[in-house]
Amino acid sequence: MIELQNVTLRYGDRQILDGISLAIEDSKIKAVLGPSGVGKSTILKLILGLLKPNNGRILIDGVDITSMKESQLYPIRKKMGIVFQGNALFDSLTISENLGFFLRENEKLSEDEIEERVREQIEFASLEGYEDSLPEDLSGGMKKRVAIGRALIFRPGMILFDEPTAGLDPVSSKKILGLIGSLRKKSGLGAVLVTHIIDDVFQVADSVAVLYKGKIIFDDDTEKLHDSNHPFIQSILSDKILEQ
Amino acid sequence: MSTSFSGTLADNANRSLKEFFLMMQEFFFFSIRAFITIPKLRRYWRDFLDQAKIAGTDSLPIVLVSSISIGALLAVEVGNLLEDFGAKTMLGRSTALSIIRELGPLLMGLMLSARYGSRNGAELGAMKISEQIDALRAFGTDPIAKLVMPRLTAALVVFVPLTAIADFSGLYSAALIAEHYHKIDPGIFWNAVFPRLVLKDFVVGFLKAPVFAVIITLVSSFNGFIATGGTAGVGRSTIKGIVVSSGLLLIANFYVSKLVLENM
Repeated sequence: MIELQNVTLRYGDRQILDGISLAIEDSKIKAVLGPSGVGKSTILKLILGLLKPNNGRILIDGVDITSMKESQLYPIRKKMGIVFQGNALFDSLTISENLGFFLRENEKLSEDEIEERVREQIEFASLEGYEDSLPEDLSGGMKKRVAIGRALIFRPGMILFDEPTAGLDPVSSKKILGLIGSLRKKSGLGAVLVTHIIDDVFQVADSVAVLYKGKIIFDDDTEKLHDSNHPFIQSILSDKILEQ
Repeated sequence: MSTSFSGTLADNANRSLKEFFLMMQEFFFFSIRAFITIPKLRRYWRDFLDQAKIAGTDSLPIVLVSSISIGALLAVEVGNLLEDFGAKTMLGRSTALSIIRELGPLLMGLMLSARYGSRNGAELGAMKISEQIDALRAFGTDPIAKLVMPRLTAALVVFVPLTAIADFSGLYSAALIAEHYHKIDPGIFWNAVFPRLVLKDFVVGFLKAPVFAVIITLVSSFNGFIATGGTAGVGRSTIKGIVVSSGLLLIANFYVSKLVLENM
């Protein structure tokens, strides 16, 4: 379980998060919805310990990671996988090498075991035949599937998605959302889905937190979003895609 | 009005100063981390070899071109000057000292700052902007050990032989100019070079190589690591890396010479 307790974050004079609290249960898909540039991706970086909050605490399975050193954070981070908005694939490595990169770096596995796990992810992402291609040779949707495969390579319990369908065509978006849904159904994997596209939330999320001006203005089951009287939520329900 | 204007100026100056010291602190910890991860070199030996090739063999042409041209130019100008005093036979001595102590390592440093430093800044900056550095951290790999330490160790290893090559090629081109332009016998030229060079002349020159390796690698890599603002940000951080490291090279060049010459 991931918990953020009264988390505040500032960049210089700019207040990004203003005392937010969130709880993300295992095996559930939680969406964080908000306009672009509001600090949604920052929440994912805080959960991974890539950023430190100015105030508040972040707990992963009950362990406070807020003041942990980088070396202490590595085992915590292995419990989660992340899919970055721009995928963050290594452009000089092939798809297979990208998938196996962190296993070779950080796990004491034989080359056969690594290849087996890479093969699993290639199959999962339906990328057979593209093992030796470079990321630049793939479409946006395929790159996203590689990034999801890489995030799953350590067999984490939770996966963090940063705008997983941003910039994708409707068909690819549907495939990616289907993939996210199937992960929970097949493997019981939990997920945090940061997005500004409200349709994505309704398609896959069990619950949703709405971030607006640094605060969480709604945090409940997805279907209850329609019941909210908050003017901002009313406006996003009619606009569907949020723009700042 | 003027009070509030000066107040705003003071506020801005305070903020800039604070940002500068915070960045210096960050750079200090970044540099320490690059050095303390050197024991992980065995794990990243492939990265080390890649970087040694980029900093070493790939940089050889630019180092040769610059050292040969500066050696030749120095021989022409100093030779003309010495001729006025009837001391042309001292050309070997004066060019050797200039090249081995100062111009060989300095010119090599500036060329590598432009070539190796800019590559580091642009490559790491692009990795930062595309969140690849965050990905390394997120999946449990120390980005400084993986990306910066191999660059630092490779530069430390290859900059010394590059300095030797720069010195030799500069001196050799000076010898050719002495022979063909000033009509000085090669025996006279080389006799004025080697018997007169002492240990401290080599220490001054070769001590600069590792100092320059540290400055170029750490400054350019750090600027890549803190790049923000898209592709324009990568450009800015790359330029900043080259400008700052080149400036620091000139300062370090002066102080290394001064320290060694005063204490040996």
